[in-house]
Amino acid sequence: MADGRARCGSETMIAVIEYGMGNQGSIVNALRRIGVPSIVTSTREEIQTATGLVLPGVGSFGKGMANLERAGLVSALEERVLDEGVPILGICLGMQIFGERSEEGGVEGLGWLPAETIRFRLETIGSRIKIPHMGWNGICANGDPLLTGITGEDLFYFAHSYHLTEIDPGHVIGTTEYGYTFPSAVRRANIWGIQCHIERSHGSGLRVLRNFAGLC
Amino acid sequence: MSGSSVPRVCTRCILDTTVPKIRFDSNGVCTFCRIHDELEKNHPLDAEGRQRFEALIDTVKHHGKGREYDCIVGVSGGRDSTYTLYTAVRMGLRPLAVHFDNGWNSDISVSNIKNATEALDVDLYTHVADWEEFKDLQIAFLKASTSDAEVPTDYAILSVLYDVAAKHGVRYILNGHSFRTEGVAPITWTYMDGRYIRAVHEQFGSKRLTTVPIMSLTQLLYYTFIRRIQVINVPEFIEYEHETVNRVLEEELGWRYYGGHHHESVYTEFFQSFLLPTKFGIDKRKLEYSALIRSGQMDRAQALAAVQTPYAYNKEIVEYTIAKLGLSNEEFEAIMRAPVKTFEDYPSYYSLIRASRIPIKIACNLNLLPHVFYEKYLGE
Amino acid sequence: MFRPRVIPCLLLKGDGLVKTIGFDNPRYLGDPINAVRIFNEKEADELIFLNIEASRPRRGLFGRLSRTGIPLDVVVRISRECMMPLTYGGGVRSVDDIRALFGVGVEKVALNTAAVENPGLVTEACDAFGSQSIIASIDARRRPGGEYEVFTHGGTNGTGMDPVSLAVELEARGAGEIIITSVEHDGTMQGYDLELTRRVADSVGIPVIACGGAGSLADLRAGYDDGNASALAAGSLFVYHGRKRAVLISYPSRSELRAVFGGA
Repeated sequence: MADGRARCGSETMIAVIEYGMGNQGSIVNALRRIGVPSIVTSTREEIQTATGLVLPGVGSFGKGMANLERAGLVSALEERVLDEGVPILGICLGMQIFGERSEEGGVEGLGWLPAETIRFRLETIGSRIKIPHMGWNGICANGDPLLTGITGEDLFYFAHSYHLTEIDPGHVIGTTEYGYTFPSAVRRANIWGIQCHIERSHGSGLRVLRNFAGLC
Repeated sequence: MSGSSVPRVCTRCILDTTVPKIRFDSNGVCTFCRIHDELEKNHPLDAEGRQRFEALIDTVKHHGKGREYDCIVGVSGGRDSTYTLYTAVRMGLRPLAVHFDNGWNSDISVSNIKNATEALDVDLYTHVADWEEFKDLQIAFLKASTSDAEVPTDYAILSVLYDVAAKHGVRYILNGHSFRTEGVAPITWTYMDGRYIRAVHEQFGSKRLTTVPIMSLTQLLYYTFIRRIQVINVPEFIEYEHETVNRVLEEELGWRYYGGHHHESVYTEFFQSFLLPTKFGIDKRKLEYSALIRSGQMDRAQALAAVQTPYAYNKEIVEYTIAKLGLSNEEFEAIMRAPVKTFEDYPSYYSLIRASRIPIKIACNLNLLPHVFYEKYLGE
Repeated sequence: MFRPRVIPCLLLKGDGLVKTIGFDNPRYLGDPINAVRIFNEKEADELIFLNIEASRPRRGLFGRLSRTGIPLDVVVRISRECMMPLTYGGGVRSVDDIRALFGVGVEKVALNTAAVENPGLVTEACDAFGSQSIIASIDARRRPGGEYEVFTHGGTNGTGMDPVSLAVELEARGAGEIIITSVEHDGTMQGYDLELTRRVADSVGIPVIACGGAGSLADLRAGYDDGNASALAAGSLFVYHGRKRAVLISYPSRSELRAVFGGA
């Protein structure tokens, strides 16, 4: 697998992948706020010319994978990400899809990251801890550049019922507490993933986006 | 200001020929310095001045006996109005704070209003203009192509204050205008009267204004002579130094400074930092700094140096303003490119005001109208 | 580190923001976009916009982009300005409506009348878009006997249904959250209907948002402690100030929220 950076900042162009799984607009909006050029795309050509990729995702794992395959984007993405080492950031479901499989529907993911997705193992009836994990929570970061500047004071918006597990600790760059500790930010070479919605997390989210853009 | 000629600058303050029709005396000192001196003469800050202020406060208290409030204070969240409210309460008055919401409040302005009214335990009344109506009026003024784009807000505020005062049987409106730190805006930069505003709206607007009060002359005369409502500019009577005022407000009222003059309103920021300098070549900092120079609060050389750097503006504020007004880029470009006009291109009460010089002077001497009114419209 | 969400719940009528009391007497508050901008600056947790004119056709200058009266033109502008998660409710009747709303950048869609008249829609929507994007919004009135009854169509139409059973059914159909609103408490600023909130919150495993009646930060805390809600929504508390109910937007600071909810 090729390593990190593709091009320098002045030519940054982030392609936000459109595959029918919601909220590309908010990501483009957030990128615009921090002055990073971006496009929403589902074409090979634009994926091939982008210097960075974002895979968003809201909804079910199965539908996400099916949509990605139906759109014929898997090979284009694999080419850019696995062969050419272009940075990619998976957000929420987008991150989970990088894994090998999900409990949700027993579906297989892209397999770029050795990890699985499972539903929160929490007893919710009569408990104050509910599923989905919906609300503002922190990320305990361990120094990866994606999370530069993120401290215990930063809060991010989470909205999910499933999370990553069975993951190599070397690939975990951030964790969050909700009932128990789970991996909320991951990285393998040029593949990053974050569980929360950084496009709707005020300044803290924008900082992470800015960090990612700086890596593209 | 485009063009190759260097503007002629007053030798005492820093107002210059970007003020259309500015005049200088034989020493090169401008009319506005003379106006400042005239106002200073009428509002000495010595023991006699202090006594007069206290007597005035006593009159306000006297007329307010038995009423829920004895005065009305307009609040915007800005320094001047917040300090006026603070002073009123510290002097033992029982004000009703009144805020005019024109749809452009910022986080800082609403926080400041909330914190101040809470800390001072003062009731607040807000008049909310229908946004679609107010937007229509604002766009009308942009299309009129004069430098008075903020006048609708300023005049509506005044109209609301008079209206609320009348409704509550209150005879005193406390304003926060401070000639010592803000100066008196030249009418060629900012002209305000009810007939002018209505005329512009009739020509360029399309919505009926039912929630934006625009006082007519008759109404103003009624309020002033029948209801005997007076406007008192509190800062004229007291020591008013920005740093001290900021500190008091921050420490006692949890007030936050917003950066730049009047930037608690997003539209004001757009207006002062972008529209005025870019389209009209008007830098309002010169007005403020000139006032501070005359009051000994700023050094003239420093002020001259400061205005050499163009007024910094935030592109996001400009984009937000255009989007919020619902203007397309073409419409906005057309507004920016339209030839500059003045209030004299539209109907107004100006000729009537000029013809009424003597009665107005009398009204000011009787404290029915603030002296600054005479100086602004008639002080030459 | 996880504290309950505090959510301004704002009502849309045409192009303007309004506030009601008991779901009635809408009072004009101003431009919704400016309200969003201020809540952004105050870093509000989330925003909920409910369109109270949903069942009636729009008469405004802006054209309707959808037949059911969902003001997509206003929603898209709200969404562009908003830097936190956005929920829209009011007049949502079909999967197409929901898709159109997600298309303009809304994070979550609230189903109210439709969830009662067509519960299959909840299942369909959750399958299509994921549970975390679909909120079941339940309005209820307290009956003389102490029981509660679900009301649809903006609190006007009694259904005879019990909010707890409805909540349980909609959870089973996949709804990701419930908003439970007391019609009588709305706009009164006297506190939530804690009994109603608790009954619903204790019966489901998904987050419940309390709504209707909050008048102080202490009321929010009570909604969490005694109502067992996971999130606290309020309207009047964040748009009115003082004795005269002057329109003024506010939102607690991060430190105020920390003080109220002790922790995070």
